Amino acid sequence: MASLRGLSRPARSLPLSQLSRQTYTAGSIRCASSQADLSDLEDSTLTAPQLGPDEKKEFRPWKRAADRKVRLPSGRYQFHPPKYNRGPLHPVQSPPASDPIARDFVPGPFNMPRLKQTYQSTIASDLMTLAYTHVPPGTPQKESPARLRGWDGSSPYHKNRALRGPRGSAVLPLIERDVTFNNIPEITEVTISTYVPAAIKDPDHLLVARSVVLSLTGTTPDITKTKSNVAQWGIKIGDRAGVKSTVYGNAAYEFLDRCVHLVFPRIKDWRGIRATTGDRAGNLAFGLSPDEVKLFPEVEANYWMYPAKMLPGCKVFIKTSATSDRQARLLLQSFGVPFYGDV
Amino acid sequence: MGKLPSTLLRRPSLAGYLPSTSPALPHHTPTTAGGLLSTPQKKAAAAGQVRHATFVPRSRRPYQFTQLVQLSDGSTFTVRTTSPLALYRSAKDSRNHILWQPTEKSLRNVEVDEAGKLAAFRERYGSSWDLDAPTTAAGADAPGAGAAAPGAGDAAAASKEGGEKGPAVEKKGAAEEKGDKKQVDAKEAKPAAAQEPAEAAASADPFDSLVDLISTYASEDKNTKGGLSAKDQARKEKKKK
Repeated sequence: MASLRGLSRPARSLPLSQLSRQTYTAGSIRCASSQADLSDLEDSTLTAPQLGPDEKKEFRPWKRAADRKVRLPSGRYQFHPPKYNRGPLHPVQSPPASDPIARDFVPGPFNMPRLKQTYQSTIASDLMTLAYTHVPPGTPQKESPARLRGWDGSSPYHKNRALRGPRGSAVLPLIERDVTFNNIPEITEVTISTYVPAAIKDPDHLLVARSVVLSLTGTTPDITKTKSNVAQWGIKIGDRAGVKSTVYGNAAYEFLDRCVHLVFPRIKDWRGIRATTGDRAGNLAFGLSPDEVKLFPEVEANYWMYPAKMLPGCKVFIKTSATSDRQARLLLQSFGVPFYGDV
Repeated sequence: MGKLPSTLLRRPSLAGYLPSTSPALPHHTPTTAGGLLSTPQKKAAAAGQVRHATFVPRSRRPYQFTQLVQLSDGSTFTVRTTSPLALYRSAKDSRNHILWQPTEKSLRNVEVDEAGKLAAFRERYGSSWDLDAPTTAAGADAPGAGAAAPGAGDAAAASKEGGEKGPAVEKKGAAEEKGDKKQVDAKEAKPAAAQEPAEAAASADPFDSLVDLISTYASEDKNTKGGLSAKDQARKEKKKK
């Protein structure tokens, strides 16, 4: 054993069997159980000897607390969850997000949104029933045509080449999935964004836009930056000229509910959302002018707070789990959103 | 006594119970594996792996109130909102808007003209709609504008439900008979067949028959404002350009 030579003198004096146990590689640890040496197992509180009656009597934490002359510093009573997550193996673990003392704890829900309740009780089943198409059992499944183009094999280099995308565009459009019991479209998230190019000259616009979007969504908005240089418009890349915020779940439902039942009816001469909206993937959008934004109850509540000329309009993007615009439109129509115009 | 290879991390739950890793016995350390770890390294390992620390942010949540919203029909529900008002009463909402309540007759934009004065005015001077009319319809039509006046609103509503898409409520109310006789426009001529039953129903309540009620649901282009329909509006705008 050449490795023995590198060991220190007291170690060399040990019996060989004890040394070799330490030098097990990961692969050979499996054999350790065959040696049946239980002393290698970890210590546990279960194996510790139980306290005797005298020791139990002596253990009186309440007595120690009563005898204490000065109060402990308040920090001794408080548990502060760690500021950093250091991985699952670290001894200090942060509590789960559902724990009220966790740093990422979010209280709630405090109410059941009306629209969500309607969706769950009525709309979802209605949509599923409406969109049902009967397929007699035993019908062979239709083969979907290949959407990616192959290579004709005219060159030996075509072997193992990746398939080509569709002609004309690099993007493969989404295929509409049928509405079934496990695929009923629903609202995923609602994004509200504002573009305020006037904020480049006067940053106060940004502040107003920020506070408006904050009051609409109840979340802290993000500031967006300009993506392109246009000299005529006086914008350049990286200008802080917009605000956006995304709400999910209950908040998204409540925002939509407010739009449909409180804001849209109060817009003068409003015909609905243009039916051609959508990105072909089931996400619809509409815009609100500054005059329409101020109809929101949140903005209306302290309308005097905003400088009237700085009030921004906004775009609202409704993201649904539908895979086509018509399914998304069906969903929103069942929520009470009117659409106008030809599709 | 070799307990654990010191290179491996311990399970977090057992951290408090385990005896210290520092060797009680002198013969623990001098293995090939343990020899690599010096004492400061061990301390660093005990302090935690800092390289993979991810910050746990405290979420910034603006305060939200629970607000009671009362719609115009008296129904209430709670919402979470940034508005500090405890109760929000809405005067105009989807419960009293014609777009959402198309069958509610009280919301319909009906001209109240009991004395027939408006109709008389229109008979004399014509309406602005007549200016837009393509050919003949300059306000020379004497017949029965006054007679049509009392039932004008209902008749208009009924004729609209009967499949008439284009013209507005008031226009139909005033120029009901006129439109029936002439039917200049090809578009107007198309639903002529549908108009006859509507005329019959005009004297009675427009929603008497179930068919009429259903037809309100089926009508594609609801003229809710009493002004131009969407299609006519678009046509007009196109003409302007």
